[in-house]
Amino acid sequence: MNTTKGKVLNRYHVIFLAQSIMIGTGILSLPQKLSPMGYTQSFMPLLFGVIASLTLFAMVWLCSKFPNDDLFRMNEILLGKWLGKFINLLVIIQFIVFSAGIISNYMHLIQSTALQEQTITMPVLCFLLLLIYIVSGGIKSIARFCIMTFFITIGLFYFTRWAIEKGDPSHFLPLFNFTPKEFYEALKQGYFSILGYELILFYFPYIIDQKKAFRHSLIGIWISIFLCFITTAISVMYYSEWQLKNVEFSVLNLFKAGEFTFIERIDIIGITLWVFLILSSITAYVWCAKRGMDTFLKKKKQSYQLYIIALIIFFIVKMPFSREFQEKLFMASNYVGYVLVSWPVFLILIYVIRKKQVQV
Amino acid sequence: MKNKHLCIISFLIFVLLTGCSKKELKVPLEDVGMVDSMAFDYIDENQMRLTVAIPQYSPDAEKDTQTFSITTDLVSSGIVEIEKQSDKKIVFNQLRVVLVNEDFARKGNVRKIVQHLYRNAEVGNKVLIAVVKDNAEAILKGDYPDKPSINFYLNNLLEPSINTAFNPNTNIHDFMYSITNPVVDTVLPYVEKRGEKLEIKGVAIFKGNQMHELIKPEEALVIQALSGQKNLAPLHLDLNAGHGEEKVMIDLIESSVKKESNKNMESPKLTIFLKIKGTLSEYKGERESHLFTVESISDLEKDVNKQLEQDISEFLARLNKTEVDPAGLSEEFRMYHHGKWTSKKTRELIRKLDVKVHVETSIISTGTLK
Repeated sequence: MNTTKGKVLNRYHVIFLAQSIMIGTGILSLPQKLSPMGYTQSFMPLLFGVIASLTLFAMVWLCSKFPNDDLFRMNEILLGKWLGKFINLLVIIQFIVFSAGIISNYMHLIQSTALQEQTITMPVLCFLLLLIYIVSGGIKSIARFCIMTFFITIGLFYFTRWAIEKGDPSHFLPLFNFTPKEFYEALKQGYFSILGYELILFYFPYIIDQKKAFRHSLIGIWISIFLCFITTAISVMYYSEWQLKNVEFSVLNLFKAGEFTFIERIDIIGITLWVFLILSSITAYVWCAKRGMDTFLKKKKQSYQLYIIALIIFFIVKMPFSREFQEKLFMASNYVGYVLVSWPVFLILIYVIRKKQVQV
Repeated sequence: MKNKHLCIISFLIFVLLTGCSKKELKVPLEDVGMVDSMAFDYIDENQMRLTVAIPQYSPDAEKDTQTFSITTDLVSSGIVEIEKQSDKKIVFNQLRVVLVNEDFARKGNVRKIVQHLYRNAEVGNKVLIAVVKDNAEAILKGDYPDKPSINFYLNNLLEPSINTAFNPNTNIHDFMYSITNPVVDTVLPYVEKRGEKLEIKGVAIFKGNQMHELIKPEEALVIQALSGQKNLAPLHLDLNAGHGEEKVMIDLIESSVKKESNKNMESPKLTIFLKIKGTLSEYKGERESHLFTVESISDLEKDVNKQLEQDISEFLARLNKTEVDPAGLSEEFRMYHHGKWTSKKTRELIRKLDVKVHVETSIISTGTLK
């Protein structure tokens, strides 16, 4: 396996990195998150796509000014050494908590649907071992894993066909039937589901064809957006508004609509395959956190940071705090994710102001 | 050298740590009682009678079905009580049929128990729900000597089949969907026990969370046709159109329906175009000897159209008067209505609704005999 020296990511890697990181547990509950808008939600993912494209443009523009540096270096260059380091520390904590949030969410799902009689300690441990293995291969191994994930899991869409058959397309009408308040609620809760593309700020230096990075990432983003759109559209057809609001993992219930005589619960297949999607998003986040930790160390090329990160994640997931505190923590990290998406815009402002001083 | 120590230490740790592990309580498959059917009977507002039927595979047992009954207020506490009587652990993975008796459907809260099952991840989506006359417990405990077991019998009876296509085959998702959707009222098949047989007598229509009335299979067929079912049950018609009394049976029906509303909430008008394609399987009446030519068949088609239009209009008018909407006609108005839609709006609309029905029948064949 190649180690990350110099530029390693070709265009397919870039496309699928952007695509797979975006799809994690978010899409499972996307219809429920968007439910304040009722049936009109089906077109929200397209709007998200537009927002994502705009913010991606800001990110790539910023990166193209620093073609060999990731966000951690940029923070230090633009904000000064100490403030930059402080921000970097926050980013690392954010990534670790965010990953822990995704794992915890997924384990909660497994426990509530598939393995009701087991504790989640063993699954979490196995998961983290796999995580360490993939991340230690570097960003290229993550990118390859993302490509594999896409082709393995895309087949799951077949299982939604019964829901389409049963669904009622008239639910799409009337268009634009929502109040500004409902729209704001849905935007606030739903946008997490497509977070992940912002990691290009960190792997941009490794991209071979940096001039076309924007286009390639955009393709990846729109593949994901399209998948989200299909998901919400099918959910809208299949569910009543009450179900949209109250069924927690609506995608799994879509799978349940399936009618095979020899399989009682197709949703279990869905859940187990979902582990690929979870892994592909978390590995990228953990890799970024590890890169961040590198910047704090004098001696580079150490690998123990990864184990530390894995340990921290394990303790966050298994921490003896109340469920409520955990939920709040993960919620907060989601909102910090929004800050991270808009962070490049802030950095661009600083860059424009301090252009002369920071010319590389 | 260092690695060797590490190996030994970690080996020791792993060996010693096994002592700390908890003994897992896993139930082997033989000790799992998979509930196939459940029945709920109404006692009063707070109490209900819960009966479960579990297939018994032991060759030593005399009966092939275990049944347990309990009086309880909550479903899950009832299950806990039943576990005290049962030799097995009760699980719901294979649940297929849920029966509620008519009293329960009319006075109790069916939605609450179905929602409880819907919440349970173990329960699949194949659970069929039906209303039964009188006593649901008696159906599960009854003797059906010529049937393999009550579980198979009930499930096969309620499953979709072309001759009972009036049956809405309401499964757990359909029930939750229609009872929470303000534009449509829930329909459930209605089963009656007659001696050693069970019979689908008709369809129970709900108004809100309670059962409202029982309709005949012919009328239920109209609901199925109007809500877009492609294949319908054989259609039996009594014609009286200037040729004396005639009886017509049309089989293998394919139907398609189109609804057009005037989008006006104040004076709602709905036009329904129903196309029916089928085989004339039996005819009894005056024209029997003339039904060889294309012309006479098309004459018959026209009479069938008229009769159907009249029947459907009358039936819908009756439903509209009682403000129930099992066919989801108000969806045609919700589609063009901005703002929140409530079931109150459905009731108001359906009361004022003026329906026009156009039926287009085409008889594609009359069998292979001339």
